This record gives sequence, C-alpha cells and structure tokens, in this order.
Amino acid sequence: MKTEKTNIKAALTIATAALLGGNTVTHAETVSSNEDSNWEFDSAFLFYSEADRVSASEVILNAKKIFADDEILNLKLTIDALTGASANGAVAQPRVQTFTRPSGNGQYDIAPGDTPLDDTFHDTRVQLNGQWTQAVADNLTASGGVHISKEYDYLSLGVNGNVAIDFDRKNSTISLGFSHFQDTFTPEGGIPKPFASMLIGDSSAPTWDDEFAETRLGSEDDKTTTDLLLGFTQVINRRMITQFNYSYSMVDGYLTDPFKILSVVDDNGVAQDYVYESRPDSRAKQSIYAQSLYHFDTNVFDVSYRYMWDDWQITSHTIDSRFRIPLGDNFGRESYIQPHFRFYQQSAADFYQPFILNSEPLPAFASADYRIGEMTAFTIGLKYGMLVNHGHDLSFRLEYYRQTPTDAGFDEPGVLKKVDLYPTIDAVIAQVSYSF
Amino acid sequence: MKHSRAVTLTKCQDGHSLNFHAMASPCEVIIQSTDPQLAIKLGNIIASEVWRIEDKYSRYDQNSICSVINNSAGQTVNIDEETYLLLNFAEQCYQLSDGLFDITSGILRKVWRFDGSDKLPTSTQVAKYLSYVGWRKVKFDQQQITLADGMEIDFGGIGKEYAVDRAIILAKQLTNLPILINLGGDLAVTRARLNNAPWQVAIEHPDIDSTKSNIDNNSSTADMIISLTSGALATSGDARRYLLNKGKRYGHVLNAKTGWPIENAPRSITVVAPACIQAGILATMALLQGDNAEQFLSEQEIKFWSRR
Repeated sequence: MKTEKTNIKAALTIATAALLGGNTVTHAETVSSNEDSNWEFDSAFLFYSEADRVSASEVILNAKKIFADDEILNLKLTIDALTGASANGAVAQPRVQTFTRPSGNGQYDIAPGDTPLDDTFHDTRVQLNGQWTQAVADNLTASGGVHISKEYDYLSLGVNGNVAIDFDRKNSTISLGFSHFQDTFTPEGGIPKPFASMLIGDSSAPTWDDEFAETRLGSEDDKTTTDLLLGFTQVINRRMITQFNYSYSMVDGYLTDPFKILSVVDDNGVAQDYVYESRPDSRAKQSIYAQSLYHFDTNVFDVSYRYMWDDWQITSHTIDSRFRIPLGDNFGRESYIQPHFRFYQQSAADFYQPFILNSEPLPAFASADYRIGEMTAFTIGLKYGMLVNHGHDLSFRLEYYRQTPTDAGFDEPGVLKKVDLYPTIDAVIAQVSYSF
Repeated sequence: MKHSRAVTLTKCQDGHSLNFHAMASPCEVIIQSTDPQLAIKLGNIIASEVWRIEDKYSRYDQNSICSVINNSAGQTVNIDEETYLLLNFAEQCYQLSDGLFDITSGILRKVWRFDGSDKLPTSTQVAKYLSYVGWRKVKFDQQQITLADGMEIDFGGIGKEYAVDRAIILAKQLTNLPILINLGGDLAVTRARLNNAPWQVAIEHPDIDSTKSNIDNNSSTADMIISLTSGALATSGDARRYLLNKGKRYGHVLNAKTGWPIENAPRSITVVAPACIQAGILATMALLQGDNAEQFLSEQEIKFWSRR
C-alpha cells in the first residue's frame, strides 16, 4: 500500500516535468510557523585610521533569527582592537617635553612643536548585545535587550527595553525606550587625583612607586547611564517617512578621563606642570533628532539632523545625509552606490580649557580633552554594494573624516602663539560588509 | 463583474508589487528589487502569460480552445502541443487517482449547485449527467481530441496552478532576483528572499498540520504564516461551497465515479510541492480521499495543512 502511494508523488513529478519542462521542477522548501527559520548573518570588518594617531580594527558579527510569530532574536558580537597614540591633553611646547605613562611605568618624550600624544594606547574590546523583539498586541511591539562590553580596563553592563505603538493603520508609530548601563573603570595605574601633578622623574627609583601612589585615589571607579527615548515615526506618503526623537540621558559617577592631563603654563606660555583633569560627576544630555527618508522612483535620499545640548554647556549640530543610487540589475546582479556626507559642529564644555594659567586660581573642573572642546567635523564617503551568490549582500565603504578643533576664544600667551593648540585630525574609514 | 486587464505597480518595503486580475482572482507578483522598470517589465510578462492561458483554457470564454472542444458535438478538434501536454497531464492525474480526478466531471455542476441550501439533486438527475462523465471515453493524441457529444472538459482544476508554474519559468528567465507569484492563493516563489530570508505566506487557520507531530487544539484560530524559501503552495477546496440536507453536509468535491460528493472530505487542503500544479493536484487528490485525506498526504510524506 505504502509503495503504491509513494509512487503517486514520484509519478506526478514525472508528469509535471513532462508538462513544464524537465529542469523546472526542483524542490520545495518550507518552514511552517511552528518550526524555526534559519539564522541570518551580517558580518563587517571595519578599519579606522587617524593620521599619526589611533587606528582601530573592528569585526562585527550579527546573527538574527525570526521565529514563528515574528519574534526576533538578535545577537551581535563586536570585537575592536585599538592601537596608536592619543592626545594626552597637554599643549605643544618649543622644547622637548617628558610625560609619565598612565600606568606609572616609564616615561615618553615629545619633540618640540609636536602635540603631546601618548602612544601606549592599545586595547581590545569585546562586546555582546542580545535583543528580543516581539509583538505583544496587534499594534504594540515590545523589545528588551542586554549588553555586556569588556575591555582590559573597562566593564560595561546594560539593559534596555522599549515599546512601539502603531496607530492610524500603522502609518504612525510612537516608541518609548529606556536603557541603563553600569560601567566600571579599572585603569592601569589607578584613578588619578583631580588636579594632582603628574609625577615625572626616575621611575626606577625606589621611592617612585610610593610617590606615584600619592597621586592616585584608588584602583577603580564607576558610572551609571540612564537613557530615555521618545520617538515618533510618521509615514507621510508612499515615498516619504519621517521620524522625530527626543532623548534624555543622565550620566552619574566617574566621568573624568584618567589618561588626560592639562598643561599649567606661566605668563609666557611655558609649561610649569602637568595636572590630571577633573570633570563634574554628572552630566545630563538631551537631544532632538529628525530624520526623513524619501524614495524617488529609484533613488533613496536619507537626511537627518540632530541637536544635542547638555548641562556641561556643550551643544552640537549633526547633519547626516545618504543618497542611494541603484545601478540597475546587470546580469541579475543588483548593485548600488551610496554617497554619504556628514557635518558636525560642537561648542565647548564650560570647563574646557586648552591649558591652565598658573597666575589664575584653579577652577573647580577643567579638561583639555579636544573631544569636549569646540570643533567642526565632516565625513565624506562612498559605499558600493552589490548582491552576489544568490542575493548575499556585499558592500564596500570608504570614508574620509576630518575633525577641526577650533579656538573658543582663549588667549595664547607667549610661546603658545607659535605652536598649534588645535591640530586637525584626519582619518580614513574602510569597511567591508557581507550578509549571508 | 468584468475586470479590466491592467497591471498596477506598488512600491513595497524592499521591492515592488504588481497587481492584476485574472481567472476570477486577484493576482499579485512581488519582486524584491528596487528597480521599478524591471518590476513593470516582469508584471507585464507575467500578466500577459496568465491572461493568455485564461483566454485559451477558460470554459466561460466562447473563443477558448476549451469551449471549441466542448461545443464540438462529437467532432474531432485539432489541438496544439500545449493543449496536448495539459491533456496528457490530466490523463496522468486520472490514472494516479484511480479515476477520482476527472476533467470531464465538470458537467455535474449542472445538477449540483453548492449554494449553501438544502437542495439535493435526485439520483435520476445525477445518473443522467454521470453518463457524460468519463475520461476513458475521450480520445486524444498529439494532434487532436474527440469528445462524445454532450461531454465537456474543464481545465479549472489545473489551469490556475499551471499558470503559476508558467509564470515562474518566465520570471526566472528575466531575472534571478526573488519573486513571488500569487494567483488567487495558488502561489510559487523563484527562490528565497535576499539574505536567504523566507517568503511569509498567510493561509487560513488549519485544523491539522502535517508539520506538527500532534494537534494542538488550544492554538489560536488566526491565520497561519508559512515560510516558503522555494517551491509552490496550492489550496484545494472551498469551505463556502456546500449543501446541508437533514444535518448532513455535502461538500463541493464530487466523486467522478458516482457523481455524488465525497463524504467527510476536509473543507480545504493546502499542500506544498516543487511545482504549483503538483501541489494543486495533490491537494485535490487528497480531498477525493474523504476521511483519509490527511492519511493519504502523510503517507506521501507531503507537507500539508487541512481545514475540516
């Protein structure tokens, strides 16, 4: 009986082949909703290199699985390797300068006129993110996730949750998000005392370790970050989608960079001392963000603007735009190019100062970290993507980034007029991504 | 209602959708490409092919080869290769189903009207029309076909599924991008979506699911989503077409040998197979097994979902 019945299927396959032509009858593959579908993977390799400074390589592996009722599990692994030199905060001088490494183990010299860079900067970061998203009601999607990131001297743990509510026939979506991070910083050499003078001298001397320890508060410190997000997405018409976000971020705890120092200069601009920086122990950031995506007949234009402000008096504007241009379906291989332009402008934190004048009283907080100083930056880039091997997406991205710190109106006494206090940073970003 | 023959293009999330009306059904082609020119070209090719098949094999169209054959009054009619291949396929199905699937059985519709009423035909009425049913009485070869006077053939059981398969062949010739072709619920895909993602296809909630080891009576009655990465899916049966007489339900699937409805057939069966015409025939053959519909498909190791 069984043999006879199995013959029906086989005989039908032959009959179908006779009707439609032999090679058209291939096979059927389905996954019913009570089984699991396959994993989807995205991988990317990114290389970032600043001229004479930091270079970073990053590998990202993203795995996504969609379950029966459209639940989505997303797992992401990111591994970064960072090497190179980073500005330590001190100003350039017309003479050789000597600095102690953050660990306290040894010193390094900086040539006259050069911006002091600490070249011991290297770290590897492993980051894992897990996110679960599912519909909890007809027009309500909820998502929750966990985050863990580990560096040699840093541990970050986080949780997040958000809900999205659709209405007006899913043309509008309101989303509410929350995330909380708990970070612990255990820098090599410990946490320096705010405004303590950098100990410089013979690090092999028997008294060195004790003297160095005098400049330290302890071995670790921590901070917490709480982010709240309110978003609104509106489908304007078949071609246009807009999105508006407001976010509020509260950071508490150790926000100082233990590797950054400031030069203490005299009235001639000559460095007399180097002191560790000091930042407030809280920061409240807010931002508004608007994005619009417009589909032309074939091209897609994506432009966004963000305005950020915080209680450190930093404000920033970011304009980001992408234009996706399909190159058509050549030989069944769809490809596109996507130019990218980004502009960024930032005002300085109220406690930012490029150096400290020894003739003036010490402020409550000070940092010469160029990243919280006044600056403009832009990125221009091009991405080329194509579909290879049965629709796997392969793309290449090449971008140029230039950051130009600017003078927020600080007087430059004496020798400081002759050195570059605000060196520009040029970087190249190259990325290869592959989805499979 | 007569639908105009037009193809409309709609942009969807990551591709284009083309809609038209054919074979008394809404039809949709989805291509995962951002190129609207390619989508329009594809839509026109597929709609033309489906309309061509409809014109050629519809029994409602007086100019179709089907009508010419049915109105031949015992005369021999010349046929082309495509018609021969379809008749040959129908012959295979007749033999494989042991005579239960018979494209000459459509004439029984004249006594059976499955309009939800309680009006059963009399045995005499059924017997009268049954004498016009019987594939064995049809003579055909590669050039011609001869039907006895009064007999009719009907491609309704395979025409739409055949059109899906033909459309898939033409779509694959145009591009290797992912395409789904859905002609009124009978559908097939050219391949998985980009990044190997499956196509998500909704079917009416099944009572019995061959892919599940046991039947979950507590499951929701919502439509079920089937993820399709290759092949085709077809549904046979129509839950809305039946007669109810003295508490007994008469489904619209007729036994071509007796002229009476198959007893205890599922209301509908959805089957997955490499080609749409295979899926459709397997679903129909299963319905013709009545009580044993699910067992029939299980023994064939075929994935299916049935509604009872």
